[in-house]
Amino acid sequence: MPEVLRRIVLEHSDEVAAKWLKEIAEKRKGDYTSSISTELYESTNREFVNNIFASIDHPDEIAKLDAFAERIINLGWPLSYITDGLQSFRRVTIDFILTESSSVETVEFSKILTVVDDWVEPIIKQLVNQYSGNWEHTVSLQRLALQELSAPLIPVMENITIMPLIGTIDTERAKQIMENLLEGVMKHNSEVVLMDITGVPVVDTMVAHHIIQAAEAVRLIGATCILVGIRPEIAQTIVNLGIDLSNFPTKSSLRKGFQSALEITNREIVNLDNSTNDMTDILDSLK
Amino acid sequence: MRIPILKLHNYLLVSIQVDLDDQTAIRFQEDLLDKIHKSGATGVVIDLTSVDIIDSFIAKVLGDVVTMSDLMGAKVVLTGIQPAVAMTLIDLGVHMQNVPTALNLEQGLIKLRQELEE
Amino acid sequence: MEIKSCVKIRKEWDIVSARQMGREMAKELGFGTVDQARIATAISELARNIYLYAEDGQIDYEVITEVNRRGIKITAHDNGPGIEDLGRVMEDGYSTSGGLGAGLPGVKRLMNHFDLQSEPGKGTTVTAIKWVR
Ligand SMILES: Nc1ncnc2c1ncn2[C@@H]1O[C@H](COP(=O)(O)OP(=O)(O)OP(=O)(O)O)[C@@H](O)[C@H]1O
Ligand SMILES: [Mg+2]
Repeated sequence: MPEVLRRIVLEHSDEVAAKWLKEIAEKRKGDYTSSISTELYESTNREFVNNIFASIDHPDEIAKLDAFAERIINLGWPLSYITDGLQSFRRVTIDFILTESSSVETVEFSKILTVVDDWVEPIIKQLVNQYSGNWEHTVSLQRLALQELSAPLIPVMENITIMPLIGTIDTERAKQIMENLLEGVMKHNSEVVLMDITGVPVVDTMVAHHIIQAAEAVRLIGATCILVGIRPEIAQTIVNLGIDLSNFPTKSSLRKGFQSALEITNREIVNLDNSTNDMTDILDSLK
Repeated sequence: MRIPILKLHNYLLVSIQVDLDDQTAIRFQEDLLDKIHKSGATGVVIDLTSVDIIDSFIAKVLGDVVTMSDLMGAKVVLTGIQPAVAMTLIDLGVHMQNVPTALNLEQGLIKLRQELEE
Repeated sequence: MEIKSCVKIRKEWDIVSARQMGREMAKELGFGTVDQARIATAISELARNIYLYAEDGQIDYEVITEVNRRGIKITAHDNGPGIEDLGRVMEDGYSTSGGLGAGLPGVKRLMNHFDLQSEPGKGTTVTAIKWVR
């Protein structure tokens, strides 16, 4: 930055900052930063503007700016706070320099524009990068968390397991589900696995295809897969799309599915005598 | 290389422990049918627990063996197909729809008995 | 870093060596057991096609590294009779040898990327890539 301009800016940094703070404060109305306390808002603005000025003196000293950005990201301030703030700052500074400089020719004018841009642009870039890096990081963490949630396998009793599916199924997830399903069936030695799709919002041909494949793979390793939790609208889409599920057992509810799982594994639920509260029993006992 | 075929009462038990090459697979098909013929066995369990690859050729040989044995009056159950192998078969588009399966040798024998009783 | 190696396919047993080699490489690259099986099976299909239809050819293995992913590239090449109808052989169940006809369409499903080039009378080249997940 040319010495003349630099001096103008630094000598009048208080005035520039004051103008900026005023503009920012006006902008704030209707902004979603309005839930932040005025005190915090003002002190953050002051810190922000100090950091911007510091960057003229030490353009290489980015650590401070980084720390500042990290903090406001963690506090959940919107990215627009940074971009809008720096836009205003650019405008205020240019205005200020223009009023300070006595003679303003076209050449001079464009030079001032470039100089201020060169100052502000890198800051915008750096902060935006930090924001987006942070988002990417968050997204990849959420992805990981989702994968873990993806397809739990619950062994309910010997030889019977349940896999509840929740959420949207894409190809990547379908593969994951199939792997978990088969490994789980082997691990728990389950003859029957109930795949519960109550929590799957949409069953289109793609999802149905993946479900059928999973059921067929389960059959190959020697177990039976019962599809449960078929809601009326899902039954309708399945038929309307012409998907053939006739090759493997389906049940409307987990309860009915569990009943057939018991039949397949040669078991049944027996009420213990002393706990029966059958009406006839009660009447009998009155006689 | 030959795959050993064991006899247990009316059943034949086979456990495939090698990486099957085409020749061995074909030879096995012949040996098994021969043994069914000689022993009059009514059921066969082929355990695939240690098999880590089944491609379309081996799948065809196995599927054929099931159908052929059926023709000769012996039910075949395949057991112990590994998850990775099952998923690969599904991707290949090989479903082996008419081949009975069971999780392991023990359950294979139970399944055979059930099927033969019916 | 590119690692290249190859296995010639002339005898039936070469099919087994070819897929074992592929599985080894896949394992070293960090593929899970299921993907190892997928890769080995795909190689088995391609090698058998060479053995059955072209009699002589080879399988090349390559590790490919891109900015944010790594993978294995399998190339099956022969100077055999070639394929007349490229669309037909990609149909499930199409076979000229009484097979299941699952080989080529199966390889396409087993891998992430698949390319089939063939010229009747000249030969056939199949390229398939699988990325580490
Ligand atoms: N390398 C090749 N050279 C010439 N023809 C080939 C080659 N590979 C495949 N083909 C042709 O393509 C057809 C389909 O191949 P594909 O592998 O899909 O099925 P298949 O080999 O007949 O049966 P499967 O692989 O299921 O045992 C073959 O029947 C053959 O005619
Ligand atoms: Mg083939």
